[in-house]
Amino acid sequence: MRELADRTGFTSEQIEHLHRRFKQLSQDQLTIRKENFDSIPDLEFNPIRGKIVHAFFDKRNLRQESDGLADEINFEDFLTIMSYFRPIEMNMDEEQLDRFRKEKLKFLFHMYDSDHDGKITLQEYRNVVEELLSGNPHLEKESARSIADGAMMEAASICVGQMGPDQVYEGITFEDFLKMWQGIDIETKMHVRFLNVDTIAHCY
Amino acid sequence: HTVTPSTNVFALTYCGCFHLYHKLPSIVPESCLLILVGLLLGGIIFGAEEKSPPVMNSDVFFLYLLPPIVLDAGYFMPTRLFFENFGTIFWYAVVGTLWNAIGIGISLYGICQISAFGLTDITLLQNLLFGSLISAVDPVAVLAVFENIHVNEQLYILVFGESLLNDAITVVLYNLFKSFCQMRTIKVIDIFAGIANFFIVGIGGVLIGILLGFVAAFTTRFTHKIRVIEPLFVFLYSYLSYITAEMFHLSGIMAITACAMTMNKYVEENVSQKSYTTIKYFMKMLSSVSETLIFIFMGVSTVGKNHEWNWAFVSFTLLFCLIWRALGVFVLTQIINVFRTIPLTFKDQFIIAYGGLRGAICFSLVFLLPPAVFPRKKLFITAVIVVIFFTVFIQGITIRPLVEFLDVKRSNKKQPAVSEEIYNRFFDHVKTGIEDVCGHWGHNFWRDKFKKFDNKYLRRLLIRENQPKSSIVSLYKKLEIKHAIEMAESGMISKVPSSVSLSDYHEGKIKPLSPAEMENMREILTKNLYQIRHRTMSYNRHSLAADAGEKQAKEILIRRRHSLRESLRKTNSLSRERPAAANTKRFLSLPKNTKLPEKLRVRNKTSSRVGDSSDSELDAATTVLNLRPRAGKILRDQRLRPQRPLPEFRVEWKNEVDGSQDGRGEQQEPSTLPQPSIGFRQPLLTRPRFGTLSREDLTADHGPARPMPPPRLVRQASQGDRQRNKPENQPY
Repeated sequence: MRELADRTGFTSEQIEHLHRRFKQLSQDQLTIRKENFDSIPDLEFNPIRGKIVHAFFDKRNLRQESDGLADEINFEDFLTIMSYFRPIEMNMDEEQLDRFRKEKLKFLFHMYDSDHDGKITLQEYRNVVEELLSGNPHLEKESARSIADGAMMEAASICVGQMGPDQVYEGITFEDFLKMWQGIDIETKMHVRFLNVDTIAHCY
Repeated sequence: HTVTPSTNVFALTYCGCFHLYHKLPSIVPESCLLILVGLLLGGIIFGAEEKSPPVMNSDVFFLYLLPPIVLDAGYFMPTRLFFENFGTIFWYAVVGTLWNAIGIGISLYGICQISAFGLTDITLLQNLLFGSLISAVDPVAVLAVFENIHVNEQLYILVFGESLLNDAITVVLYNLFKSFCQMRTIKVIDIFAGIANFFIVGIGGVLIGILLGFVAAFTTRFTHKIRVIEPLFVFLYSYLSYITAEMFHLSGIMAITACAMTMNKYVEENVSQKSYTTIKYFMKMLSSVSETLIFIFMGVSTVGKNHEWNWAFVSFTLLFCLIWRALGVFVLTQIINVFRTIPLTFKDQFIIAYGGLRGAICFSLVFLLPPAVFPRKKLFITAVIVVIFFTVFIQGITIRPLVEFLDVKRSNKKQPAVSEEIYNRFFDHVKTGIEDVCGHWGHNFWRDKFKKFDNKYLRRLLIRENQPKSSIVSLYKKLEIKHAIEMAESGMISKVPSSVSLSDYHEGKIKPLSPAEMENMREILTKNLYQIRHRTMSYNRHSLAADAGEKQAKEILIRRRHSLRESLRKTNSLSRERPAAANTKRFLSLPKNTKLPEKLRVRNKTSSRVGDSSDSELDAATTVLNLRPRAGKILRDQRLRPQRPLPEFRVEWKNEVDGSQDGRGEQQEPSTLPQPSIGFRQPLLTRPRFGTLSREDLTADHGPARPMPPPRLVRQASQGDRQRNKPENQPY
């Protein structure tokens, strides 16, 4: 327990709370599979549900060296994923903050980059936007597509700026991604409160 | 009789001149100068007429001068940020004001007990009353000062939100202590009644505001035939909410704020663009005028015989105000930091404490004191004036250097972009999802729930054409419209590219975007964000989104021209797979949007006058290429969905298309135009942008190397005057 706390940065109280939740989700098994996430009712309405669930099983997020998708995750992995959403602490210094920020952004990056090639290509971006707007039945695919195109182009201009006439913009790399999020302090926004709240029993 | 109006005119023209000298607002907040002007005027009037100049009537202030300012502030408040920080704001407003009021009251009472100061006749209750009216942080003053210093939005919203919400407390305390002063005996039950009264006042005010906001939104749902009076409804209902709340002795400020925030969400979608602009500008105008008048009157009212000076009382008042404010913020922050995920740092706390400016509200409240019950009223007036002057002048002037010295995080001036909107949305969903997985009901959960409720019931009821909206898409639409307008508005500056030059273009050449162009595009994007979530980056009374400049439009047109070349050339390469090419600029897609024709028509009227013949020619050609596909799409949509039909603009398009081409078949053709968009670099894979074409169609159509569109373009150009003016300018 102690080493879990040290590694992921949660307090023991939070770990307990999350453990309870883990048990609920896994139905008292040791590991969670993708199907277990189906039991969360509210997640159904989330347009990017697929990506979120996928992110839990993404080996890159789980800090494993290999690539690809895990079939099931245990509690430790669960905690690892959740640790991306820890709020910042007052006593963090610059370097820690920076690392923290990079980690969070990396998590987001992996969500965009579904084919694991380290770049967000136009197709992947389009995919994201289409999913985002999928909750809206009145929107045609072309709108989503054109929006994605426009956004991609903005990204290109931020990241590469002046491009030569023969350059092709391959995709958004992680460094470019970082650049784009520079103005936004993600470390303050990307957090979930892990207060000791009674778990809402979503799955029975 | 003529004095007061001439005063006003003078003051207002002065206010205008003030902004002409640019450096001044950065050093001295406008409120200071206005008070000085008021003092000057007061002195003149006093000298001329040998009697006290007209004191600002409390009625005038509360009924006419204050509502516009609060309305303006409430309407343009960033609601999302406000609600995210609502707990903190509420905490500061309620507990903070209570703390200040009681603290100042009691300590002043202690001072008064010291007989050396000659203040022993001021009772505890009177002190408490004085404390309650002087602890009110004033939204007018806060706005006036914070407007120029551009601190980050979070800090701004904390101070400003507090100043708005503490009105409830102030009203309750003020009335409570006033009635206590007039009562013989006070029972415990009265105190509890007072506490209950607070809830009634606050919540009642908010409810009235929300109710009337809904009524206003509902009314505007039916006003599409009488667009001209739409702004009137907005102002009427908000003022009505204020007056109603005041009538029931509830908090008028909270009512009008709630009303403005509610209205904003729904009315914006119901009213026409012009009405929206009118509302915006009129509101800003009213609030500027009110603010100016308030400060000038404060200056004028200072001069006169209303004063009684007592060193001890005045100086200790000032001292206690500062001390209790600082203490209060510090202690409260320690408590609220436990509940916040992002704790407030010392710097933040300092700015919050320092930003607690007093202003015209305490001024008017002190004038409202009944002199019969308060024999030392003049003393109170003097003390209030000193405190106000101190906060406005000293604190107002020094806050800017302090902010810079402390290196407080400033507002993020980065221009928002579509990609950012996408990220933010994505983000919200991720957070909500994680919260769901966690089983935790966080902020996002509630916001999600509210959104669902909103979409299901409220929007259907209150909005005329209710289509589920995505902020991303609406942002996108808006920027497209804006772009289209600009395109239509300014003429092209260069000639039509001839077919020769077109064929010269080699494949694979991409026009690079210069930073300047990017900047321009970003500017355009920003302008349209005024209506989307992150709308006011930092509240500024005096500037709204700037209008597009000439130069910018020309830049766009340069890009457009290049893009045309690109697009025309690229049609044959469409069939080829391009590796994730992302170099597309914005695309002009126009999903069902009925506002466009109106505007375009207006705009292009002016444009056809401006610019020489070559301009309008290419402009026409451009817009033809630009909009025709959309026209085709719009027409198709018309058939598919029962829409509010576009005005006759559409018909003209159709005629034009049919008339000048081979009819239906040709109508397909423009759609094959890959990108009538500005300067994209490489075509994207499938560009059936306008709804109908699939890849197969495209590949089928473009067997020959020579792209189809150029003939059209060339033809337009070469056909000269016949084609030039007739169809193109017709739809406009």
